[in-house]
Amino acid sequence: MASRNLLTSTLGLLEGPQTLGKGVGFWSGFLVVLALACAYPLFADGYDVGNNVYFFNWAFMALGLSLIWGYGGALSFGQTAFFGVAGYAYGVLTINIGDAYGLTFVSLIAAVGLSALFAAVLGYFLFFGRISGVFLGIVTLSVTLVLERFMSQTAGPEWAIGSARLNGFNGMGGMPSLTIPWPGGDIVLYPDVTLYYLTLALLVIVYLALRMLVNSRFGNVLVAIRENPQRAEMLGYDIRRYQLGAFVVGSGLAGLSGVLYTAWGNYITPSSMGMSAAALPVVWVAVGGRSDLTTTLFGTLLVLAGFQYLTIYGSQYALVVMGFLLVVTILAAPSGIFITVGSLFSKGLRRRLARERS
Amino acid sequence: MAILQTRKLDKWFGGLHVTDNVDFALEQGEVHCLIGPNGAGKSTFFKLVLGEHAPSGGEILYDGEDITRTKSYERIRRGISVKFQVPGIFQALRVRQNLQIALQHHLQGASLDEEIDRLLEFLKLKDTEKQLAGSLSHGQKQWLEIGMAIALKPRLLLLDEPTAGMTPDETHATGEMVQALNADGVSVLAVEHDMAFVRQIAQRVTVLHFGKVFAQGTIEEIVADERVAAIYLGEIHA
Amino acid sequence: MDFLSGLFSFLYQTGDAFAFLVLSACGLAVIFGMMGVINLAHGEFILCGAYVSTTAARMGLPLPLSICLGAIVAGLVGMLLERAIIRHLYSRPLDTIVVTWGISMIATQGTLILLGSSIAGTGTPFGSFAVGGYGYSVYRLVLMLAAVATLAGLWLIFTRTRFGILARATIQVPHIAEALGVNTSLIYSLTFGLGAALAGLCGGLYAPTMTLVPTMGSAFVVEAFVTVVVGGADIFLGTAPAAAILAFVKAGLTSWQGQLAGQIGLLVAVIVVIRILPRGLTGFILRERA
Repeated sequence: MASRNLLTSTLGLLEGPQTLGKGVGFWSGFLVVLALACAYPLFADGYDVGNNVYFFNWAFMALGLSLIWGYGGALSFGQTAFFGVAGYAYGVLTINIGDAYGLTFVSLIAAVGLSALFAAVLGYFLFFGRISGVFLGIVTLSVTLVLERFMSQTAGPEWAIGSARLNGFNGMGGMPSLTIPWPGGDIVLYPDVTLYYLTLALLVIVYLALRMLVNSRFGNVLVAIRENPQRAEMLGYDIRRYQLGAFVVGSGLAGLSGVLYTAWGNYITPSSMGMSAAALPVVWVAVGGRSDLTTTLFGTLLVLAGFQYLTIYGSQYALVVMGFLLVVTILAAPSGIFITVGSLFSKGLRRRLARERS
Repeated sequence: MAILQTRKLDKWFGGLHVTDNVDFALEQGEVHCLIGPNGAGKSTFFKLVLGEHAPSGGEILYDGEDITRTKSYERIRRGISVKFQVPGIFQALRVRQNLQIALQHHLQGASLDEEIDRLLEFLKLKDTEKQLAGSLSHGQKQWLEIGMAIALKPRLLLLDEPTAGMTPDETHATGEMVQALNADGVSVLAVEHDMAFVRQIAQRVTVLHFGKVFAQGTIEEIVADERVAAIYLGEIHA
Repeated sequence: MDFLSGLFSFLYQTGDAFAFLVLSACGLAVIFGMMGVINLAHGEFILCGAYVSTTAARMGLPLPLSICLGAIVAGLVGMLLERAIIRHLYSRPLDTIVVTWGISMIATQGTLILLGSSIAGTGTPFGSFAVGGYGYSVYRLVLMLAAVATLAGLWLIFTRTRFGILARATIQVPHIAEALGVNTSLIYSLTFGLGAALAGLCGGLYAPTMTLVPTMGSAFVVEAFVTVVVGGADIFLGTAPAAAILAFVKAGLTSWQGQLAGQIGLLVAVIVVIRILPRGLTGFILRERA
């Protein structure tokens, strides 16, 4: 009986004050979208399916940034640092220990754990030093830029961990894809239908788990800190721990993105931690609407698709458009386009917009 | 027995001595008002008690224990609670959620909901529970924050100008609420300008001037003190 | 003799790092001190100054004038951007920072599109001199002098000119300054322009020493960021002493372990310092006079 209560109250957190969407309407929509996403590989060719996995890979980092920035109010401009650390860690681990016996998944967990640990150490100094929003942003950005510069100069043969060459500016390649051990022969997850379903499943799990997290007591305190840190502390909360907690979870998700990306393309370069790379998550999250997980998720996938489309003209053109998109969003729709456009049609969203403007 | 005591409490901001050797005691179960002209160091004194500023010297005792170096949130957990001067509420969250965040420390499930309802009723905010806190009237915001402060079931309540911006009726109702809390055993320390309100609630009054304790006594003694009147020079509207 | 030449080498390294930190950071610090906003397009104003001054120098304008021209153009672009975009966001400082990042992306990639992946430089002037068997660049000494001159110039601007005095009044009490009839909007615009011009000056000064690529700004921003983080909001009480201390740290680490170690060490030092001095040096010197 007690466990049943626990189950219902836990599932109850899927809806709440911190997330848009509730009731039969929203969840039927959710199921329809999910069903479409599941059916998609049946109607598309393998290349496009693999490409979509690429979009999903980034969504974890975006959701993490939404948690840290949109919910927690802490500007972290250096999420790519955790992306890169985890990506390189996955490469180094798998190149050294191989892909048999499901060791790629052990490496995935270890790499994500490493990025979370890195976030915990960095976050300890930042949040327990109580630095203000602006400084948090530029210190995290500095961290990712310095990591980029560090990895760029690891070209020489002395820069190797075990049998894994870091390979400097050109980036590290040759790590195995994720591999599921299977009796009749291991299943290697190339960018194809199987990997698509695995990544989709992970994304759905992370999305739902984050919904529960932000509607939980933890999430309540997190948004309270965003609104008024002094009041939150004077209600007896050690706000540094909550901010650090959100930072570690969000950065772990950036790490997950890094691993999935590296395993997807068997490749990672220092530029994935550079200035342009660091700006992109900020664009996705700001454009979609950082203060909500659902708008962040859809905004990210939409902007990524647009970016992908534009890169056929050259990535510099795509980046210029991203820059414009960011400027225009902040000027015209600071809560993100979904919430702003949606508020034209929905009273609830209008109220939400009003409170974010206030 | 004093619930709050400061010994030789000192605070310098650069070359400015804003809290000067303050020896102060708030007795258990007392309602005590802190008054003084602008810049007398009342707010700084509050911030020192709350741990928002570290003192330059001296010590602070709560319930007989030294809390001079204790973190703010830890002081709150030990039973100190505060209502700020500018309403410190979570503007973009609903009224109900504001109270929930204050209460979720020690309550959960059905008892949490019941307590929120009881507080909403008590604060006369039942009709507004689904509104965003930022959309309340100024007086209602003050009440909501008082509600959050007392939701913690404090033993010592600090009120920084609790009636600022309230109508006389609201001020009087706030005074009655403070008295009711006090009757339940809560000790209260209030910074207040409104002398009618001070008269309504205070059992003792301390006057701060240039960071020092200038005078102390009952409201009658303070009002009769010519030196006190002199430092206010028309600032008292009583 | 060995000791003396070692000492000279270390002092030269420290002075060089100090100049780099001061010149990279002061534009950022001026804007931050006034508006509480970090301009993430700082590197692109440096880029602007570098490109303009190099182009002018290659067209025959004397180098000092070219550098000034670079600073002026960067300043004008800064004022233009302030009028067009930043101005609308003063009530939302955190959004301002995000917007400047968008501007930065547009500027970097736009330069790449319009001017290609690099432009020809001018080469470092003045040659070199030798002390104790090691060669040193004369131009680096010029940069050190330029850093000191920039600080002195800023001191004069903020204490002796009408703009500087009004600017300081606006920083301290914006509402009162406005009530007294100060055109705060103009002050903000001029301050943003000054910050951008200082970035442009930095770009112009360092242009002869580096490869000119659209992403060159990012070579400066980390140092600029950490200097402002450690220094806090005040140029003279914060940025300059922070630059001096960090230059010492960086020069020590660089001569011990190389350029990159200097930079990594700097960042690690800053992150640790944050834990100890959350309000930066300015806060420490002013003893948290809030």
